[in-house]
Amino acid sequence: MFMSECARAASAAESRFRIDRPIAPARAPRIIALDEGAAGVTRRVAAQHGWANARFFVCEGGSTGGLLLRDIDGLPTLLDDALARADAVFLVATEDSGARYARTIGRACFERGVMTAGFVLGDGYEADDAIAALRPHARVLLPTADESDVVEVLTALRA
Amino acid sequence: MLRKEINDLLTLTGPGTPMGALFRQYWMPALLAEELPEDDCPPVRVKLLSERLIAFRDSQGRYGLIDEFCAHRGASLWFGRNEESGLRCPYHGWKYDVTGQCIEVPSEAENSSFCENVKLTAYPLVKIGDVLWTYMGDPATQPELPEFEFALVPPEHTYTSKRLQQCNWLQAFEGGIDSSHVTWLHSGGLKNDPLFKGAKGNEYNQKDTKPFFEVADCDGGLFVGARRNAEEGTYYWRITPWVMPAFTMVPPRGDHPIHGHFWIPIDDQNCWAYSFDYHPIRPLTDAERQAMIDGHGVHSRNIPGTYRPAANMDNDYLMDREAQKRGEDYSGIKGIAIQDASLQESMGPIVDRTKERLVPADSGIIKARQKLRKAVIALRDEGVTPPGVDPAHHRVRSAAVVLPQAEAFLDACRDDVRVRPGVPISSV
Repeated sequence: MFMSECARAASAAESRFRIDRPIAPARAPRIIALDEGAAGVTRRVAAQHGWANARFFVCEGGSTGGLLLRDIDGLPTLLDDALARADAVFLVATEDSGARYARTIGRACFERGVMTAGFVLGDGYEADDAIAALRPHARVLLPTADESDVVEVLTALRA
Repeated sequence: MLRKEINDLLTLTGPGTPMGALFRQYWMPALLAEELPEDDCPPVRVKLLSERLIAFRDSQGRYGLIDEFCAHRGASLWFGRNEESGLRCPYHGWKYDVTGQCIEVPSEAENSSFCENVKLTAYPLVKIGDVLWTYMGDPATQPELPEFEFALVPPEHTYTSKRLQQCNWLQAFEGGIDSSHVTWLHSGGLKNDPLFKGAKGNEYNQKDTKPFFEVADCDGGLFVGARRNAEEGTYYWRITPWVMPAFTMVPPRGDHPIHGHFWIPIDDQNCWAYSFDYHPIRPLTDAERQAMIDGHGVHSRNIPGTYRPAANMDNDYLMDREAQKRGEDYSGIKGIAIQDASLQESMGPIVDRTKERLVPADSGIIKARQKLRKAVIALRDEGVTPPGVDPAHHRVRSAAVVLPQAEAFLDACRDDVRVRPGVPISSV
């Protein structure tokens, strides 16, 4: 039996023969700030890196067409439009005022089969309602996140 | 995905490396106590953090962990004679005590003080529970002894084994906080393994194959909560603690003993998996202990006289395609430990994390890497003592509980995830 046909091929030498092709960005995520504090975090994260497919938004409020968001450049976008080509949504909260948005976005993502994750920055106590609103929908929740967690997770996911 | 320089930072643990310096802040398992069973027993070769050492137990029952090689001509002291409170090199008779101090150089004059100036590198070696622990850092900053519950309960309540894993410590450790693979890779074990089967929690595991995760910081590391649907209005939570850098616990099942691991670098391409089971309030039954010895649960069946698993990369881990088809063992590999090892070793000695495609469900791993990186850099650049050194950080437990949907797992389980002597584990 050749070395490469058995489990012993897990050696460093055999690693040379692994197929080496460039990896495309894996995700087309939307990062949505639920409150004022989260908006600041989201703007800083957006500015820090040359993100591939990530798009950043801030919740603006209700409108006749549904939940209104603004992108980082201030352009208005309806939630439906923001989610149109998304395959992951990351919600960012620092306190409770965005809890109702979390519910709306969470439900919209669930209906579209979009993976949802939530970052709650700070000690968590100021955002109990936001956490409770995120919990049913967020496949992953980081309730004691800090700003660098947002960057870390998005980077690890090739956003 | 990790950049190459970060992957190197976290995986390389030899002398002079930043991660090696981090490991050298902690007490860690060096070998099992059973490896040095009696005074003046044969010495044991030990390789830790890419340093070759020799462990021995002298005539007075003192343990020593010293440089493997004689200061004279560099012969291995594994060939030495363990006699009269010291280890003597058989080549020219130089003799060392458990502190590495040379106490005899036969070729020197009768009253020569030459040997006083010869001292091998030595590290403390202390027995706590079934494990001999060492601290390889600066003696001036040696921390208090470890206080992990599995090592402190009465001997009849606990069992520890170890096995060689032929890959870098980090990819083995990452399996320990990756709760989502259990539903797939270990699904056979939930039905068949004598140390897992029969728990109510297994039903939740098997019915809900898409867990939700919450990852929360704690003083010593992280708690990773995996949530699955239980009865109407409730969630089944499995809570995995990680104490930095390399201690993880598996959430319990029913009244089975609770278990976990230490992942200790031998060198950059191999590590020891120390696997323990214990019950805080009762002795292990004969059947439980025998099952552990036979390699069930988190333990492995090893080649007699060694700590290398009988199922290993040289025999394709004894893959059984028929068992795979029958669903008896989901991957066709027998045993929880070897199921993990087979896949983690297949990734290569140090997996190239620049090629990964992680998903949000990997957030526990992402967060753990971040905490390790921050701790390594803080230690390297500012001398900050990392989390997990303080013995107070060791007093954690895993838990498996059913909670109302509205409750946050850490708020509801604050007591369940800390050691309370005499109090049962929280388990479903």
